[in-house]
Amino acid sequence: MTRTRRPSAQTTAVVLALAEQPTAWRYGYELCRQLGLEPGSLYPILVRLADRGLLETAWDTDVPAGRPPRHLYRLTGSGRALVTELAAAPAVATAARRPDPKVRWQGA
Amino acid sequence: MSWTRRRLETITTWVVVVGWVVFYAIALATADQLPGPQAAVTDLVVPPLLWVLAVRSVLRHWRSGSGSRMSTMDAPQRLLAVAAAALPERRRAWGRAMTAELAEVQGRSARWRFALSCVRAMVGLPPAGGWPVLALVAGAVVASVVTAGPAVGGAVPGLRVFAVAFTGLVGAMVVLAVARSRRPRLPVPAPTVLVTAAVAASITATVVFLRREPTAAQYLPPAAAVYLAAVLAGCLWLALAPPRSLNTNRLAPHLGAGAAVVFAACFLLSNRLELTQPPLPVVLVLAPVFVLTPLAVFFLPAFTAATAGRSFRSGLHAAIWTVAATMPLTYALWLPEALHRHAIDGRTLDGDLVAPAAVNLADALVFTLGIFPALGLPLAVIGAALGARRAAPDNPS
Repeated sequence: MTRTRRPSAQTTAVVLALAEQPTAWRYGYELCRQLGLEPGSLYPILVRLADRGLLETAWDTDVPAGRPPRHLYRLTGSGRALVTELAAAPAVATAARRPDPKVRWQGA
Repeated sequence: MSWTRRRLETITTWVVVVGWVVFYAIALATADQLPGPQAAVTDLVVPPLLWVLAVRSVLRHWRSGSGSRMSTMDAPQRLLAVAAAALPERRRAWGRAMTAELAEVQGRSARWRFALSCVRAMVGLPPAGGWPVLALVAGAVVASVVTAGPAVGGAVPGLRVFAVAFTGLVGAMVVLAVARSRRPRLPVPAPTVLVTAAVAASITATVVFLRREPTAAQYLPPAAAVYLAAVLAGCLWLALAPPRSLNTNRLAPHLGAGAAVVFAACFLLSNRLELTQPPLPVVLVLAPVFVLTPLAVFFLPAFTAATAGRSFRSGLHAAIWTVAATMPLTYALWLPEALHRHAIDGRTLDGDLVAPAAVNLADALVFTLGIFPALGLPLAVIGAALGARRAAPDNPS
């Protein structure tokens, strides 16, 4: 895959958050809370990452009775390669600075 | 029967009855000729009765199916469920993902914020072909709408409004289709071809009619032109890009299309026979056929589909397909038949009136685009309800 431009600061933050534990599956709401992002911003980013093959998804069926299965996310090999690429770029440190996770989405 | 359900049904009944009385009063106020007392009473009783029965059937089945699921949800969950259901198939998993995450969010305001934010995300999801393709298609649609009016209006002045409305509606459907799916689906080829051809024939018949009878333009005022455009565009949409919820039963479209063909054949036969003097035995045999066929055409497909599919929803699909196929097919036949009839004895197609041929355009609009949905659709819905009850007496869904 050929990248033509840098990802946005929010996309970078999401990718780096996922890269903290590259093999672990993460929930969307968990990422919202960690990054202080609204779902309206997070989900389009996840959709784009998945469309580009940078993110793999799965369903977590091990949920309490009566609750729907939750969607899980983690980086693919290409996604991890993107992380390496982003980490090498000096501007990333600023772009990927995380917002305060306690600003919003403290409901759960 | 719960209080809520009884109240909902009572409110629905009153809304239908009052709505129909108001509509009928307006129709009488604008009519050239008032109906006789017997016809007026029939008009005031039969349509609202059919609609009340049909709407109550729909409510009953809706509340026993998706309605009961919805009633266990809170408002943010309902909002998200509706938005997720509107997503295209390839994005459906994302809708489910957001809905599932909402279950983890605690607190009323947090749930509202989460749901509203997700709805915003769903609306803004990238279209199938990407934003540039969508923008290009939207631009082409706008250009078509702008040019359609002058182009068609120059050739057939009475069709200017129709051309703009139809192009706009079909264009909007194309934009929506491009945004939602990479390629068109033709889930049921034969019914799709029939309805598409009927819509094309309807437009052609209108053009030919207005070219031969330019004064007929007075019977296609802007409101009627927009209604004709909306009906034909709606039929096209159902045929070419039916929503998933109308695409779950493969038998229903075939039953609807078959019923439309039967009705068209019966319509043609009755018109042609009226011009001849058939022997009395033939008249006695065919008279009940001509009376019962319109009722059977709307009732039976829905009843059969509901019985075969063992569900009200299957019958409802057949009902919608029947109306969507019968309207344009009959309209397309009506106009040339009317010109043919008028050339022979100077009467309108129903044979009641010696009048200018142009009047037939108003008749075609009222009968096929007014009476069919007003009477045929509720009759078909009642058929679906009875078919579902017959298939599974203890299970209304």
